[in-house]
Amino acid sequence: MMRPVLVRRDRVVPATQAVAFVVGIAAALVLGLILLWTSGHDPAEVYERMFDAAFVGTDSLARTLERATPLALTGLAVAVAGSMGLWNIGAEGQMMAGATIAAGVAMGADGLPGPLLIAVMVVCGVAGGMVLMLGPALARSHLGVSEIITTLMLVYVAIRVVEWLETGPWKDPESFGFAVIEPVPEQASLPGLFGRANIGTLIALGLLVVFWLAVSRTAWGYELRLAGSSPNTARYAGISLRRKVLTALLLSGGIAGLAGAVQLTGSATRLESGLSNGYGFAGIIVAALALMRPSGVAAAAFVFGAVQVGGQSIQTLGVSSAISDILQAMILFGALMAAVFFNYRIRWTGPKGQASSDDDQDEAGDDTLAMEGA
Amino acid sequence: MAKKLLLKLLVVVATLTLVAVGCGNDDDDDGPVSPSDEGFAAAFVFVGPVGDAGWTWAHNEGRRYAEAQTGAATLFVESVPEVAEDFRAVVVDFIENEGANVIFATSFGYMDPMEELAGEYPDVVFEHASGYKMNDTNFGNYFGRMYQPRYLSGMAAGAITEANQIGYVAAFPIPEVLRGINAFTLGAQRVNPDVEVHVTWTFTWFDPAVEGDSAAALLEAGADVIAMHQDSTAPGLAAQEAGARWVSYNSDMSAFAPDAFITAPVWNWGPYYARIIEAVAAGTYTPGSYWGGMDDEIVALAPLADDVPADVAAEIDAVAASMVDGSWDVFTGEIRDQDGNVVVAAGETLDDGPMLGMDYFVEGVVGNASP
Repeated sequence: MMRPVLVRRDRVVPATQAVAFVVGIAAALVLGLILLWTSGHDPAEVYERMFDAAFVGTDSLARTLERATPLALTGLAVAVAGSMGLWNIGAEGQMMAGATIAAGVAMGADGLPGPLLIAVMVVCGVAGGMVLMLGPALARSHLGVSEIITTLMLVYVAIRVVEWLETGPWKDPESFGFAVIEPVPEQASLPGLFGRANIGTLIALGLLVVFWLAVSRTAWGYELRLAGSSPNTARYAGISLRRKVLTALLLSGGIAGLAGAVQLTGSATRLESGLSNGYGFAGIIVAALALMRPSGVAAAAFVFGAVQVGGQSIQTLGVSSAISDILQAMILFGALMAAVFFNYRIRWTGPKGQASSDDDQDEAGDDTLAMEGA
Repeated sequence: MAKKLLLKLLVVVATLTLVAVGCGNDDDDDGPVSPSDEGFAAAFVFVGPVGDAGWTWAHNEGRRYAEAQTGAATLFVESVPEVAEDFRAVVVDFIENEGANVIFATSFGYMDPMEELAGEYPDVVFEHASGYKMNDTNFGNYFGRMYQPRYLSGMAAGAITEANQIGYVAAFPIPEVLRGINAFTLGAQRVNPDVEVHVTWTFTWFDPAVEGDSAAALLEAGADVIAMHQDSTAPGLAAQEAGARWVSYNSDMSAFAPDAFITAPVWNWGPYYARIIEAVAAGTYTPGSYWGGMDDEIVALAPLADDVPADVAAEIDAVAASMVDGSWDVFTGEIRDQDGNVVVAAGETLDDGPMLGMDYFVEGVVGNASP
């Protein structure tokens, strides 16, 4: 029986990536017309508001950046693991773990001056994310336990811990019995850029550049990608797979933890169980939009942030949250499909996974879209 | 095609920006207006879907009532997450694009960003349900003494249970929920001294699957009546399936599980919303910390099932009347906690302070008040 396999195209012009996004989104917007018409809305008005809310004016741009920042960090976290074929599904939890450690330190060290306190909190955020990832990473590298399951399960553990802190040990004595943790100290808020955007955006951008260079331009990055796509080749070349798996997953967890610290010192006023707000899970979509490459994460996060801002805004026009969610999902799905088909083509393979034509054979190992773990 | 659409969009956006700038100078006069005037709008931020049949549904009924009463245009957005960036985005849109004059936010988690926004938009009134922050000019909070109808619903449940074991599916261990469980238990004990109330925590306000499972577990453990502090109807469906009974919450949910339904403590936000909207329009609004009870009809008891004994129904009416005229309230001593310590001395009635900070279970509750 013939079976379809996605194979990376030989030549991918960088500009096609951008074209793919636009075409995919446009197709989704056209489909969205039907959705909006049938639900009794004026599509022109709705699309105009979406565009307006996400892009027009500095406040709108700032709003989009405010959202794109945690998305870029969690997207990067997922993409770093994804570079070697690993799936970090638990960025949501690592984000909470990072924010929790950062908040705990801020409570104990609230006498420190602002910049120093923020730096300490950010470092603790990274550490928190790594700590939560330590178990899954060791289990994956030494026992071969699927990181997909373990990272996901720990999301709920991390959120439950925050709920316990909220209702118990860290309950703010000045909250009249309400289950809230005391706000982070005044001085520990990230300086603003413009509107609601803060320098967390620059931190995220800097990190994206660092990881883009590290993954695509260094020997370390090459080994990482090789270990993911052809583990046997990597082993033959003397690369320690265990160490690579550990490094990739811990870095991934650390970046997600950083996202938590940035949210805590940025948009949020205190640690609360809703702080991660789905950004960790959305990071998986961002990384998928970026085809697991750090280079694409910034654009993907910006698009995702804009879609979320626009989708939120049209609800004040009377569009229900359900319709808005469907519309957002359609846009992201359109962008994702376009991104995939501009970069990959379908090849039909024969039985037992044999390639239908011999000349395709050597691409198969390296370039098929790695949707399963290494 | 895409290019054309984008171009068209840009033109529309540019035109509208110009129009918006042009119109900006119109609304300078601060004099009293009628809520039904063109341009006056009241906006609501909801934490759940308006179709939840529970908490958000009740607020949305209140919005509709207020719209009908005052003639004010009302707007709402549902399912807004309780984080700053989401809440701010919605409120800023309401104010900047829709010209909202008053914002009602209906969940606790909106408190911090709402406090900030109240500072940034001094000409807009901000009203926050279930919080404790306020200011002197444009930011108030409101809630209801739900523990009063909960006590009454406990009386009905206490009369119905044959196992003398009631299961209580509860969201979070916070004073509001503990107060409700305690009031319900005291009410049940009033008509049935042997009754026990078994509590499980779900750590969610709205999750039908978790709520339903929790109810099923309580039923399996021997309860024959389910009460709840949750926003979905799932516990009632579980009760009906098991042939057990159900006290719902937020609204009269009898339609969802007619065989199981006994009664429900319900919210009636409409009159309060109408009053605030009138005051904002008239320019007479002053912020407060509103905590109304049965006397103000912001909370009430849904109709009783037919099999609630007539003498109990009559007693419920009498107790309700004493709450309305203020001659009696729920937390009147002597009341003991789970460990047998006296928490309210004989003849004394708890003040609002200790009620708002309640962190214990009364005798007769089985469960952990600080899990």
